[in-house]
Amino acid sequence: MQSPAVHADYAGQRQVDQSVDRLRQRIALCLFAVLVLVLALVPVVSTNATFAFYLMLWIAMATGMNICVGFTGYLPFGYVVFYGAGAYVTGVCYRVIGVPILPSLALAGLAGVLIALLMAPTLRLRGVYFGIVSLGLATIARLIVANLPDEYTGGSMGLILSSANNPLHSFYAMLAVMAAALAIVLWLSRSRTGRQLRAIKDDAVAAACAGIDVPRVRLKAWLLAAVIPALTGGIEAWYTNVVDPEYAFHVLITAKSIIYGMAGGFGTIIGPVVGTIALFGIDHVIWERFPLINLLLLGLVIIALMLFLPRGVIGSLLKWRPQLRRYIA
Amino acid sequence: MLTVRNLVKRFGGLQALKGIDLDVPERSILGVIGMNGSGKTTMLNCINGIYRADGGSIRLDDMELVGRKVHEISALGIRRTFQVPRVFRHLTLLENMDVAQATDRVDAAEREDLAAYWLDKVGLMRLRHNYAEELSGGQQKLVELARVMVARPRLILLDEPFAGVNPELAAMLLEIIGEIPGRHDCSVVLVSHDLTSIYQLSHQIIVMNEGAILTQGNAAAIQSDPAVIEAYLGA
Amino acid sequence: MTLLIIQGLLNGLILGAIYGLVGVGLNIIYGVLRVVNFAHGEFLVLGAYFAWILLQQLGIDPFFALPLAFAVFFVAGYLLYFVLVPRLSRSDDPETSSLLLMFGVSIALGAAMLLAFDADSRSLEVDIEPVFVSFAGISLPTIRLVALGISLVLVLILAGFLYRTQVGKALRAIIMNRDAVAIVGIDAERLSAIAFALGIGLAAATGVIVGMVFPAFGPFMGSDYTLIGFVIIVLGGLGHPIGALAGAMLYGVTEQVAVVFFNPSVATMLGFSLMIATIFIRPSGLMGARQLG
Repeated sequence: MQSPAVHADYAGQRQVDQSVDRLRQRIALCLFAVLVLVLALVPVVSTNATFAFYLMLWIAMATGMNICVGFTGYLPFGYVVFYGAGAYVTGVCYRVIGVPILPSLALAGLAGVLIALLMAPTLRLRGVYFGIVSLGLATIARLIVANLPDEYTGGSMGLILSSANNPLHSFYAMLAVMAAALAIVLWLSRSRTGRQLRAIKDDAVAAACAGIDVPRVRLKAWLLAAVIPALTGGIEAWYTNVVDPEYAFHVLITAKSIIYGMAGGFGTIIGPVVGTIALFGIDHVIWERFPLINLLLLGLVIIALMLFLPRGVIGSLLKWRPQLRRYIA
Repeated sequence: MLTVRNLVKRFGGLQALKGIDLDVPERSILGVIGMNGSGKTTMLNCINGIYRADGGSIRLDDMELVGRKVHEISALGIRRTFQVPRVFRHLTLLENMDVAQATDRVDAAEREDLAAYWLDKVGLMRLRHNYAEELSGGQQKLVELARVMVARPRLILLDEPFAGVNPELAAMLLEIIGEIPGRHDCSVVLVSHDLTSIYQLSHQIIVMNEGAILTQGNAAAIQSDPAVIEAYLGA
Repeated sequence: MTLLIIQGLLNGLILGAIYGLVGVGLNIIYGVLRVVNFAHGEFLVLGAYFAWILLQQLGIDPFFALPLAFAVFFVAGYLLYFVLVPRLSRSDDPETSSLLLMFGVSIALGAAMLLAFDADSRSLEVDIEPVFVSFAGISLPTIRLVALGISLVLVLILAGFLYRTQVGKALRAIIMNRDAVAIVGIDAERLSAIAFALGIGLAAATGVIVGMVFPAFGPFMGSDYTLIGFVIIVLGGLGHPIGALAGAMLYGVTEQVAVVFFNPSVATMLGFSLMIATIFIRPSGLMGARQLG
């Protein structure tokens, strides 16, 4: 179809194009590697790793949210359902049934995938409806857990995992999950699946006309996104020793995942990481000094972000200086 | 290649298509003209699956298309453009090309070459790393055309490709579309109000009116048909 | 048993009317502005607190506080519109942005109320003689019947406004077709502000009623009402103000009759399941217009 001369021309161009892509990916990879390394060293140099643990937790949660919002285009207001399910499955398996902690966590991840599969029919709903239904389902899940017999769920006291207590192992488990989450978004940013997701997000009908099996691709992303909060919930329970019914299905978990991700900018892979580091840091400082107004400030931050920086820090930077897209994934 | 028989589509009480029959042979261009509301876009939507036909059949060779999902029909080799270009705004031009090629079985290098070929053909090669939303409306139409062609389709449905396009661009489009059947082994169904282009490009023209085909023929026959002149062209 | 069911039905209708007001307010805001007011429940609770302050500090009867609450919050909503909404229309995805923005507002308002009023539950004491109305073996708190009456009056006033006045008709026109309205020359911006104000004012007024009918309210009850509001407008049809009332009745009755047989959590779950089923079976709701894709 094309003459050989033309063919050679494109080969040269392709080299240039590929090296541009590679540069962007290498930068992101380096940043993530540095992050993982720094965090891995925390327990070695310090006795109190709690701040680092929760930083990793929120980076993982914000990244999972990024897969939903930034790549797939959904606002899952019921995101916490995966987290809570992960926590409870881990707790029940370990404490009530007697499964060792690591297999319990694996089951937690599986639970996340199963719930996501159950929610698959909701994926074809429009944005607003999806958000509402997702919130409704999360509420139902919370109520179901609250109404299950106390022998299984520990009732209002929750579950105590005492004999699994191992802050060091659970810290590194969280690191592994965070690293996996970052690896997933890194993969999405360079893979055809990721491109298809973004195409679907832009225009689902045009995507179908371009040959993309929209429901199938969406489901893939949705399942991936569900595993992360499920495992995170389980690991947090392991780290703190407690499955807390008040907290496990709390809307704040969804809220913070959204805000931290939004502050950096959904759709980029560096964004949610930057946003989490910035906001969680601020949140932590304020919570220590002014615990009462912490929640108020959180709400005000969301409002300010939505009004003035709706694309987040990284997103706005890219809008302002599009040339930087070459370097920022 | 494409055989449509007795295609019917209703919207509530409105009968948008009242039994359409048409044939699109291999490597040909079928022009479709008619007043607004005559059912042209509805027909395109039925062919590529966006609407499900209420009656009749649409066959590609031996395969029945009615009832199939949009992406299945696209994967079979039918692609389309839209009146208002629907590019993927937050993807670069190269990425726009790439997502449309998922169903192509050839290797990556060939796919990339094809994408480059078409971007070059529509003159947008230097913008290939730009995001589609940065382009003008006319340029986006070109992107859409390139995007349908990189999928190596058998049939493309073009909905008003010349609408809102400047004369220079229109000339380029005319040339590209004209050589598609011969050079790329692909047929074209072309919906347009731009009669000059329709006459110049089409092997056959159908005239639609109120959901039915008024008449059919080549450019000369249509231009001189009194029924067509009365319904559509004006004296 | 039948008596309990009938009592449940009646309670359901009463609650349905109240929920309906919530739904109508949400629907007006969504229909006109395409903004999902996630903070609707918080404005409702704020209205209850407003009446409570008036009662505590100035001794004003909640029945008088109701129109006052509406007026004050109408003005507040009008001003708030210009602060919050115009920027949204310039964003990439106004609907999602509005969801997130109002989500932030709901968190901020909840926290502000917590700071201002503490977490203790409050109630609006209303003296009514007799406290209960009994007939045919059924006993209902009088205040609930009064609330039903007030709610129905409000709905009538609202209907009159929407169907009889210029402004009301313009609002309905916008709900049906935003762009066409601009072409016809109506100032869509000011109308949107009025719609927002109306929704907020209605929320506050409903809050006063809720404060009177239910034994207690607290800073974080808002999200429960917002959620119920969503369930209702989905049932009735997004953007269809009067449809919300139908949806509310359905939800209220379902919930209250279910409470006769099951515990409250199950009743709530049933209500939500009803909503989810509706979205799948009949996405346009009971009365909403058919929407493509």
